[in-house]
Amino acid sequence: MIRMKPINEYILKTPLTIDDILILHSGDKVLLNGEVYCARDATHRRMIADIKAELELPFLLMNSTFYYAGPSPAPPGKIIGSVGPTTSSRMDQFLEYFLQRGLRATIGKGERSSEIKKLLEKYSSVYFITCGGAAAYLSSFVVRSDLLGYEDLGAQALIRLWVRDFPLLVAYDCYGGDLFESGKIHHRRINLIE
Amino acid sequence: MMKYISHEDLISPLESALIEMNIKSSEKLQNCMMEALTQEKSDSAREMFSEIIENYVIAQEECLPLCQDTGMVMAEVSMGIEVVLTGGTFQEALDEAIRRAYQKSYFRKSVLTDPLIGKNTGDNTPGIVFIQQTHGDELQVNLLVKGGGCDNISALKMMTPGIDPDEIKKFILQELDKNASRACPPLIIGVGIGGNAAYALYLASRALGRPLGTPNHCKEYRQWEEQWKNEINQLGIGPQGVGGRVTCLEVHIESYPTHIASLPVGMVCSCHVFRQKKLSW
Ligand code: SF4
Repeated sequence: MIRMKPINEYILKTPLTIDDILILHSGDKVLLNGEVYCARDATHRRMIADIKAELELPFLLMNSTFYYAGPSPAPPGKIIGSVGPTTSSRMDQFLEYFLQRGLRATIGKGERSSEIKKLLEKYSSVYFITCGGAAAYLSSFVVRSDLLGYEDLGAQALIRLWVRDFPLLVAYDCYGGDLFESGKIHHRRINLIE
Repeated sequence: MMKYISHEDLISPLESALIEMNIKSSEKLQNCMMEALTQEKSDSAREMFSEIIENYVIAQEECLPLCQDTGMVMAEVSMGIEVVLTGGTFQEALDEAIRRAYQKSYFRKSVLTDPLIGKNTGDNTPGIVFIQQTHGDELQVNLLVKGGGCDNISALKMMTPGIDPDEIKKFILQELDKNASRACPPLIIGVGIGGNAAYALYLASRALGRPLGTPNHCKEYRQWEEQWKNEINQLGIGPQGVGGRVTCLEVHIESYPTHIASLPVGMVCSCHVFRQKKLSW
């Protein structure tokens, strides 16, 4: 290990602005407040179909944040079931379409394809990760949830979550920074010859 | 002497096991995470392990599933030839147990009737069943619940017979380097070597389903399990891919006789929410 980059912590509120995005660097910790929209691949396909059919989406895309997640059903008396991130790379194919229409940030888990970093630079956006498989823990930061549409998709329905101090890490920033890559650079102790 | 097991006698223990597995991690797994937390130096890796540990507490307190992806259920069954199931097949009993457990506990239903033209089955059935016959009158069922994220990084490679076992290790390291971050590491990794293509992946799955802390009984394989685990951890991928020392908790290998012209190698992983349970009748 050479040295660890100092990590900054921010408390941010949605809708995120471009100024918010510009201060963030990969590895930074963010506690997010406000609304995020749960959408998985089927949800994305539906939204695109609706936009193409000139139907209005039930929320404002401008400066919005998507949470790639399909929660488990809420037991009686609970706001929501468990709600951890799903694998983001499945949504790579849809990202540019939504960035063009104002999407500001995405939350998920795992590495994404290499073009994604260029898109984030181009549209001033960030990709956050949160801890996959810590879904019961993450549900404790949700203060309200509203079903917005596509109920027939079950776990893939479009849901608005209101979160308080939702714990995130910046995985890709808008400057090409990549937490996964720098993690490997700092921690790799083996030579992996192709 | 035949041993008769009724449909209902199968269903209710399976149902309770499925509920428990999805809500509560074994003590052994929890201890592994505590241990991992103490090994990590970077803030991001420590943060991830703290959240994983915190999750155990909240899931149990709130009776919520550890992960929203409560997976597809797999059962590896070994059935003594003196066992007689009455009132229904094993598959029917398992499906009924899944139906009841997933409905009652508000688990997510994540199974489609058909991958290309299907809809959600609505009750997380069917499960996936592998049955093998054994002698005696015991019925053993090893349940494994796995989400999509970690199943998606499974791999099969038909390698060249006679190669150095290090080549197999290299294949596994390269696959993990590309994909591990998407499968919620730290991982438990099952490797199947031999049989044919189909069987290698089955072996990998069976290896994965071994309880934590049960190494291969053969000395050579035991050494490879240890060595490969250490080298995977030197990749530096870390929990959730944020960089760190603990990427893999255990490697389990199983082998089987194979054709002289072949060397099938299968790899199947489980995420850190390792949901495995053995039942017997
Ligand atoms: S890989 Fe495992 S921990 Fe991660 S989301 Fe899937 S089931 Fe949950």
